[in-house]
Amino acid sequence: MGFLARRLAALLAVLLTVTALAFGSLNVLGDPLFNVVGFVASVDCDAVLAGEVEDVSGQTAGGRGDCEVIEAAKREHHLDRALPVRYGLWLGDIVRGDLGTSFKNEMPVRQVIGEKLPKTLLLMLVAEVFGLAIAIPWAVAAAYRANRAFDRVSTVGSFGLLAIPNFAMGIILFYFFVVRWQVFPSRFEDADLLARLKSLVLPGLTLGLPLAATYQRVLRTDLITTLQEDFVQMARAKGMTDRWIMFRHVLRPSLFSLVTVFGLTTAGLIGGALVVEQIYSIPGLGRAVVEAVIRDDFPIVLGAVVVIATGFVVINFTVDVFYSLIDPRVRRDG
Amino acid sequence: MDDPTSVDPGSSSESVEAFASPAAGLARKQLGFGFWLSVTWVAVVVVVAVLAPWLPIADPDQTGFGDRLDAPGWAAWFGTDSNGRDMFARTIWGARVSLTVGFIAILNGLVIGGSLGLVAGYFRGPVDRIISFAFFALLSFPGLVLALLIIASLGTSLMVVSMTLGILSIAPVGRLARSATLSFAEREFVHASRVLGATHTRIMVRELLPNVLIPMSALALLGMALAIVAEGGLAFLGLSVSDGFSWGKMILLGSAPRTLRDAPWVALVPIGAMFLTVLALNYAGDRLRQHLDVREMAFGGG
Repeated sequence: MGFLARRLAALLAVLLTVTALAFGSLNVLGDPLFNVVGFVASVDCDAVLAGEVEDVSGQTAGGRGDCEVIEAAKREHHLDRALPVRYGLWLGDIVRGDLGTSFKNEMPVRQVIGEKLPKTLLLMLVAEVFGLAIAIPWAVAAAYRANRAFDRVSTVGSFGLLAIPNFAMGIILFYFFVVRWQVFPSRFEDADLLARLKSLVLPGLTLGLPLAATYQRVLRTDLITTLQEDFVQMARAKGMTDRWIMFRHVLRPSLFSLVTVFGLTTAGLIGGALVVEQIYSIPGLGRAVVEAVIRDDFPIVLGAVVVIATGFVVINFTVDVFYSLIDPRVRRDG
Repeated sequence: MDDPTSVDPGSSSESVEAFASPAAGLARKQLGFGFWLSVTWVAVVVVVAVLAPWLPIADPDQTGFGDRLDAPGWAAWFGTDSNGRDMFARTIWGARVSLTVGFIAILNGLVIGGSLGLVAGYFRGPVDRIISFAFFALLSFPGLVLALLIIASLGTSLMVVSMTLGILSIAPVGRLARSATLSFAEREFVHASRVLGATHTRIMVRELLPNVLIPMSALALLGMALAIVAEGGLAFLGLSVSDGFSWGKMILLGSAPRTLRDAPWVALVPIGAMFLTVLALNYAGDRLRQHLDVREMAFGGG
């Protein structure tokens, strides 16, 4: 299948570019040596070797001189190699599933991500469920009597909802449901799945409401288009109820375009998850990344970014392929 | 889904004829009251933010302007924060940073994305393929993650934050500029210019750019809203502008559980300011987009 092969090639090219961008920006813009050894990195080892400056030996752990520490770090992290070589070595490690180890607590990055990622994924899943559960009835109700009172109000509503930044939504919900009414716990509870889900209701809503607004807009337009199809009139002529026609005949063929926005909304959802995890103190990937950024824990930042970006690229690829597999004409005939 | 190559050169010449006929002219939608209301709000915020140092308001950093966490009232219209600073003055000063970030960001996106898109759409062929791939790769990064990556390495000065957020709008702006250029590049006035011996640069700058700028103006408003929101998101990741304070940073300060419980206005006032501004920018941009009939436009968000 030529099409699939071409998409796969594009996927690989994008994955290479994205990882190179992530690796490059941290290595070129930041100072990897500094991240490994700290302020010792500023020691001018050439000058030390030339005898111009005295090596302050024994000041660092293990009683080694600064330059020995620097040289060891350079060797360990291949910092003495050229950037493309380092990228190649790093990429090779990643392909073998080795994301490196945290600078700060020596934990394998893979383990850190394996621990944090499920919580972030669960949050995103909850958000998607909320988004769809709200959007579908909302869109059906709006499209059923298009351009009438409810539809107009809901259009304004969805527009307003999209103008509320996710952190603002998070704080507003937190204020009412946690601070004022104390319906939900203020911290993430990790006892069992049920506790976890309960802790994720508000964060999920925070991300799910704007998602629902986006879905509603797309689905509403599609429902209105489908409602004008001949088969709908046919069904009506046969005397089927509006409810039956709407849910059994109109909704299903209209759901396809949701697939196209799914890819677009995922980017917002990932960014949103990073932010919302801070507000609701969910120990997910977002919090881990932010902590790592503050502590200059370079491997964790890089590992997390690569995992997130790869996931995003793969999702978009899947959506793309999936959507082109469902030929739009198929739904006309069916 | 929004494949830029699907721009049909034939349709643009039709729309020119439709534009010329008086009936079609009457049928064109007005921008409407809401559009001008939004523009007015944004203008007021911009003017107030620019004039902040000369306005008769309290010093935004003056602690002990009132007591700690005073409720909104006559003395402090929007109340005071946990350091007794006047929230009204702070909201105005916060607008300065937020708007500056939004403005520099979208300017950056327009200049870089616009010129890349113009070049890609004008020259086509391999140049186009390389630039289009670059746009595609940029869009393959969740926006906030890319921003986090750059800012984490370069620091949080106003310029770095603004320029980084500008990078997020390069690809959407560039794609639009490219498809607009594609639709104009084969038109008569471009051919005429070429026959007269104009250089590539002259054609791109004098003939194509003015036409491409029009649809981009709608995107600029949406992009500015996006950058303002993204800056707020960065504040929550601890990566917002370190010099001065923005609305995002004010919201972060107000979101501490105890402050939120005792004085919700500390968070809600900047939230309201940001919401109204983003709403106005979104609405104005959206109206303008419909007005100019720009179809292909998508900010991934986040």
